[in-house]
Amino acid sequence: MSRRRQLAALVRKDLRLELRTRETIVAMVLFAIVMMAILQFGFGTRDDDLTRFVGGLMWVTLAFTAVLGVGRSYVAEREQRVLDGLLVSPVPRVVMLGAKAIAIFLYMTAVEVIVIPLVGVFFVQGPYWDAIGWIAIAALLANACIALSGTLFSGLALFTRARDLILPVLFLPALVPVVIAAAGATHAVAGGPHDMSEWRGYCLFLLAYAILFSLVSVATYDAVFDD
Amino acid sequence: MISARGLVHAYGERRAVDGVDLQVDAGERLAIAGPNGAGKSTLLRMLATLLRPRAGHLTVLGADVADDPRRARAGLGYLAHDPLVYLDLTARQNLELYGDLYGIPDRDGRIDDLLDHVDLLARAEDPVRAFSRGMAQRLALARMLLHRPRLLLLDEPHASLDARATALLDSELGAARDDGRAAVIVTHEVERVADVADRLVVLRAGRVVLDEPTAGMDARAVRRRYEEAAA
Repeated sequence: MSRRRQLAALVRKDLRLELRTRETIVAMVLFAIVMMAILQFGFGTRDDDLTRFVGGLMWVTLAFTAVLGVGRSYVAEREQRVLDGLLVSPVPRVVMLGAKAIAIFLYMTAVEVIVIPLVGVFFVQGPYWDAIGWIAIAALLANACIALSGTLFSGLALFTRARDLILPVLFLPALVPVVIAAAGATHAVAGGPHDMSEWRGYCLFLLAYAILFSLVSVATYDAVFDD
Repeated sequence: MISARGLVHAYGERRAVDGVDLQVDAGERLAIAGPNGAGKSTLLRMLATLLRPRAGHLTVLGADVADDPRRARAGLGYLAHDPLVYLDLTARQNLELYGDLYGIPDRDGRIDDLLDHVDLLARAEDPVRAFSRGMAQRLALARMLLHRPRLLLLDEPHASLDARATALLDSELGAARDDGRAAVIVTHEVERVADVADRLVVLRAGRVVLDEPTAGMDARAVRRRYEEAAA
């Protein structure tokens, strides 16, 4: 049995479900926009330049948006009671992890296609658009971190009764280093001269975090589903 | 096909399955019956590799499920209370998904054959959400048979099937016996056991209290033996 074929089938299934229901991505985008509006009003008017806070504002918004998306990652399996069908099939648990992580990565990327430009509109008065490529690279690395850690924690929370409470309690602390690094990388390039050495350092940290969580996930995911 | 020795599973302090020994050979159809809470579904979930035994040793299709559950899973067909299909995907998309998970060659041809077999070919492109309960269970039957499993595990299969699906299932169980596949059927409908199984196992409080062939028994005789054992 080809793991690649299994992985592709599971990712295709998640994308088909999302295309048909349009529940997760739409909710994530709306949530992120509302949160940015709240932050904008919370900080004051557009006259105040929020450029120096832009990294934090963007990544706090995206972190909470990620909690929303990750929390919905097993909703179809849970509500439609399909999980046993997947678990009784000969799919390695790590392939299930990989498929969910890819789906979350794609959802986050879709949200950021809208959110990252909007951040420039909401919060930045200085130069921003020339930095968007560097911000996007940092965002892709952060998405890998979010997807890998989020999949692991949503799998852990899946078998608990208070899963909707447990997931944010587990997941948000794990996101703190990601928010710090992604916000730092964004701050390094947005709104003024680019500090590429600072940006590079934060991106390397995100890469290391993603590798670490992929190793932890591979080592533990069988136990999450089989015990 | 199945060899279980001293299987135990507990929910907290309560032992749902308490030292069960079970042997199922090729071509054999075993019915497991018992009162509510006897441990039937828990035992079936262990045989399906969905629950790990707390103690004991279990071999399914030649694979030790503690060491190599995936090898066992590749040859299992599992029919549960729920159809185990996505309601927002079409019947065909659901079978394509499972076809890829099981690595079926000639997936599309096999899906067409099975959809035709369960009388759903005309509704193949409809989302399962639009199906009646009976249609969804027929799709579940197709899902279970898709990868030509050598061992069928069925949890109360007749409880939610319509007449068409019941006839299909019974004919499939007959075919399983004829071509050397095995089946384990958890059931409350003891009267059906004589028709669909060659052996009856009765569980009570997680233990096997009866294990005997049904050959020569009619529905009333099976009911009488069950009631004697389960009392």
